[in-house]
Amino acid sequence: MKHIFFFILVFLATTASAKNPIISPTFDDLVKSIIGEEEYIFDDKNITIKVPSFADNPVQVPIYVDATKIKDAKRLIIFADLNPIAQIVDMPTTKLLPIFSSNIKVAQETPLRALVQDSSGLWHVGSANIHSNGGGCDISSQASQNSEFSKFLGQTKGQVFDKKGITRIKASVFHPMETGLIFGNTKFFVDTILIKDGNSLIDEIKLTPAISENPRFIFETKNKYTNLNILFKDNDANSFELKF
Amino acid sequence: MKKLISLTTLTVCGFAFEFDLKPIKVSENSYYFEGKKEYFSPSNGGDISNSAFIITKDSVILIDTGSTVEYAKQLKEKIKTITNKPIKYVINTHHHPDHFLGNYVFKNVNIYGTTYTLNEIKSHGELYVSNMANLIEDTAYTTKSLSPNKVLKEGTLKLNNYELEVYLYDGHTKSDVVIFDKNTKTLYTSDLIFNQRALATPHADLQKWIKTLEKLKKFDFKTLVPGHGAVAYSKNVIDENINYLTFLDNRLKNSVEEGLDTFEILSLDVPNEFKNYSLFTQEYERSIINLYPSYEKKF
Ligand SMILES: [Zn+2]
Repeated sequence: MKHIFFFILVFLATTASAKNPIISPTFDDLVKSIIGEEEYIFDDKNITIKVPSFADNPVQVPIYVDATKIKDAKRLIIFADLNPIAQIVDMPTTKLLPIFSSNIKVAQETPLRALVQDSSGLWHVGSANIHSNGGGCDISSQASQNSEFSKFLGQTKGQVFDKKGITRIKASVFHPMETGLIFGNTKFFVDTILIKDGNSLIDEIKLTPAISENPRFIFETKNKYTNLNILFKDNDANSFELKF
Repeated sequence: MKKLISLTTLTVCGFAFEFDLKPIKVSENSYYFEGKKEYFSPSNGGDISNSAFIITKDSVILIDTGSTVEYAKQLKEKIKTITNKPIKYVINTHHHPDHFLGNYVFKNVNIYGTTYTLNEIKSHGELYVSNMANLIEDTAYTTKSLSPNKVLKEGTLKLNNYELEVYLYDGHTKSDVVIFDKNTKTLYTSDLIFNQRALATPHADLQKWIKTLEKLKKFDFKTLVPGHGAVAYSKNVIDENINYLTFLDNRLKNSVEEGLDTFEILSLDVPNEFKNYSLFTQEYERSIINLYPSYEKKF
């Protein structure tokens, strides 16, 4: 019965374009809460999402999203349907390319979605399923239980790579990315990344504690910058700088 | 719900997985059971790693106890068809669940393990049991974790006047036991050697592992019993393992230098000799995903 009900819902929600490739009970509500009534289409052709074939370690699941086939992408949002903290990242993609690589936590097997808005305002949705036994979001961060932790908090590392006209930025910061979902633990995570050229802001990226502890990122841009640097800010008003 | 149903069937029908274990003779007094070159699944009941036993004057020494209590029970029965001497000693080569979760069947005998292995099993044993239940379902439901009750040290181990040489190494885990039986020139390498099966690296340190394998090449053995895969009679098998680990180590180092993403590494070509290993695709992906962050930390 439940299945028939879902089927009807899905049927009604489906327009002439491609159907939702991975049905989940929370997708419709999540999309609505993020983009409201704006229009979207399922577009796996133009959005590549890479995830492990099986995520053994639910607190460190690598993901890679590439939506560079959508030429005029303005914004990229990634979320996992069945995570208690569904949204993962929200970033502008006018100066940065619509590419994102990091590690995330998953609470159970879940679809992963990348929403990419083009210049006409239409959202393209890419989907992939993460197979895992889960347990990633309600496990307390290992680092936050480490007494040595305060010594390393905010240590940054990074490198810039030049490849065929594209600048790739790899960056990481030592941070617990504590979700606050465990009783007694307070939310403590990097919520903003500012990518700058000297003092001028290139782009501001918003994060949630669905990102794994000691997060690492890959960003790319076609523009040339001479004085790239990064500022990681957490929800406790700390900021950590990375200079290349 | 599915689990509840199968659990009921288990108790009502007395269902037990049939392992169909076959002892393979290694020398006049030693045998091993070869695990399937597969990943854990309900259809193999978790029988994916090797166990071995040595018959002494009036006892049996068992090396590793498999993934479940049910496997270990059937192992015990099979050993009885070869000898009526009692299993008085068990040795756990390392803390991976496919090598020790059968321990509970031998709760009244001496179970040897290194201090590290003993502590790991004590603190994570039950977690391994529930993971095993997720992977192989029914067959794991009667399994309980039991840690070793005797500390294994490097040097000569005399069991019932039978001498074994014990070596403590690392690389596959932080504590890997190698046993050399001089009497038969048999080298039991635990999971430091996988024969024609892709190496598993969840707790590995590749550089330490390679160094350990260089040491194994110095042993004057006739037969080598690996942790996974068939017995081998030459040092080629050690070189094959060294080659694979060196390849993996270099690939990870080069990828850091080129600034690659995990999935870009996975899309690179791999030499055919490795692709032919059983479970290559799964273990290779797992290795890159697990190990890459520790290499990236160094940049
Ligand atoms: Zn192992």
